[in-house]
Amino acid sequence: MPTVLAEVEWEACPLEPHRDAELESYVRRTYGALPSSVAYFTPVPWLVRSMPALSVVGAPPLHFDTVLADLIGLVVSQDNSCRYCFGMQRLLLRVRGIPEAHIRELEQNYLEAEIDPRTKAALDFARRLSRAAPRVGALDLAEVRDAGWSPDAIRELAFQSAYCVYMNRLMTISAIPFARAERLATSRLVRWFAPLWRWRLQRRLQTSRESALLSDGGADDAPWSSLVKALSGTNCARPLRETLDAAFASPVLSRRAKALIFAVVARGLDCRLSEREALGVLSETGLDAGEIESILTHLASPRLDEFESALLPFARGTIRGSPAQLQQRTPALAAKYGEARTVEAIGIAALANAVCRLGAVTELG
Amino acid sequence: MSAVEAAGIALAGVALAFALLWLRARRADARARARLSTATVELERLEHAFARFAPMELVERVIARGVPTSGERKEVTVLFADLVGFTPLSQSVEPSTLVRILNGYFERMSRAITAHQGHISTLIGDGILALFGALEANPWQTNDAVQAALGMRAELAAYNEELAASGLPKLALGVGVHRGWGIAGLVGSSELMQFTVVGNVVSVAARVQGLTREHGVDVLVTAAAQQALDPRFVLRALPPAELKGIAEPVSTFALL
Repeated sequence: MPTVLAEVEWEACPLEPHRDAELESYVRRTYGALPSSVAYFTPVPWLVRSMPALSVVGAPPLHFDTVLADLIGLVVSQDNSCRYCFGMQRLLLRVRGIPEAHIRELEQNYLEAEIDPRTKAALDFARRLSRAAPRVGALDLAEVRDAGWSPDAIRELAFQSAYCVYMNRLMTISAIPFARAERLATSRLVRWFAPLWRWRLQRRLQTSRESALLSDGGADDAPWSSLVKALSGTNCARPLRETLDAAFASPVLSRRAKALIFAVVARGLDCRLSEREALGVLSETGLDAGEIESILTHLASPRLDEFESALLPFARGTIRGSPAQLQQRTPALAAKYGEARTVEAIGIAALANAVCRLGAVTELG
Repeated sequence: MSAVEAAGIALAGVALAFALLWLRARRADARARARLSTATVELERLEHAFARFAPMELVERVIARGVPTSGERKEVTVLFADLVGFTPLSQSVEPSTLVRILNGYFERMSRAITAHQGHISTLIGDGILALFGALEANPWQTNDAVQAALGMRAELAAYNEELAASGLPKLALGVGVHRGWGIAGLVGSSELMQFTVVGNVVSVAARVQGLTREHGVDVLVTAAAQQALDPRFVLRALPPAELKGIAEPVSTFALL
């Protein structure tokens, strides 16, 4: 691929793929395809289900088309140097009929690419939300609103960017092999299969649009309810609520371990809303406010067990950095604590990175 | 040859000439596209490389709109490192050997700093100015800076063994770590510009580094940095010292 991504270091995947007929059939049924990455996440079912559930298929946008969703996926994945997701997004754009020259222009010269100002504002906003350096704030929201996007559309743009962050983190922290995705992304054969594939994708999207139910965000006392409620009026609220509930209900990691990961990521990204929510969950698990503050200040505490202590630097290492940096702690975690716990830790860290970046939508009013 | 045949041959000749011209133009176009593609990849590579020295948003702003003149007030942790006894060393070895020793030293120190989320802002002779929390907000910046200092200590010990094995003199390090507020931004002239932090926070770190010689220790942490530090780091309190250009005496702690 003629981009700098071809030079990005990517470690060997420390996870083994495991086939699971039921989960695979679910993904194929909802997504319309079975990405090769699915087999690496089967030890944690909620994680596999979240992949299509949070995508445009499970949460179809009401205010922009899927091409813009895929363009967001392309630029955010490139920014995050996620070789797997970048290959997949490139493939999807080709299937949707976007000319190769336009895709290449975006990849190689984003700042100068010929994009209409409204789309450019949406893509810039998505990149800023994903980078979170600094975290998206009132000025960024005003800028995208001035470009003609309504508050509901901005919520969907933010969700789309956060979904890409989620997928990028999942694939990158796990170091999922990307060769097949990259090969497909540039394959000449895609041109021949694209019309049929496009037709299937459109049909699936149509079905999901018809069946998607707008949700008000669920119960008020559920964790992150204020964030989920901020998305009400879009198709994103319900799948996010369901994913958060399934993630916290999963028996692989303790509730405290998951809340610790969320709290560390929230502190690293300065997301007060997510930190408050994570502290709420942590306080139910026997830690008082002083202990939690000490844990988050120094990423260590004698009150934590060995696995929880290992999760703190792991979670911190997922916030920023190159793929090699994000992948640094995964092999040791997998070797010492087993695959299922590692996969769930990766899933929670990815979800925390997405949710904490998404926190900005609550400022839309 | 009939007139029709002659016209046919002429027409074929013209068609062949057009085909050749078209082929040449296509080849030239392909070459130009390849050059353009290489250039844009080079540009992208540069953009990514610059992101190691300045925030990505700033890099893009510079590319799109030129150099911004504004700075941003940020709380940062500054690590200032200097080689102890560098002047006598520079007089005792060949220039080429000195450069080799220095490059090996910078390579190892840089590794220790970047491994702990720091970035090197400036190399001043044998001195290093490293910043933590300047590129991106980092709530763990002071722990990172002190971890980096420990990493530098370990790297230097390993490097000294290599130097000794080659019959070269060993190096000694002085490090000052301070936390405070400074102005972060692009500073310099049109000839040379760098992303750095300016303000008292840098001066204090540099002066505290100078204090390491007086106290006979290699790493000193100011009280402002110590307050943000994980209590598991083992520190020894030292008496407050007057520093040149700093109004109040500065309390420091030696990192054991």
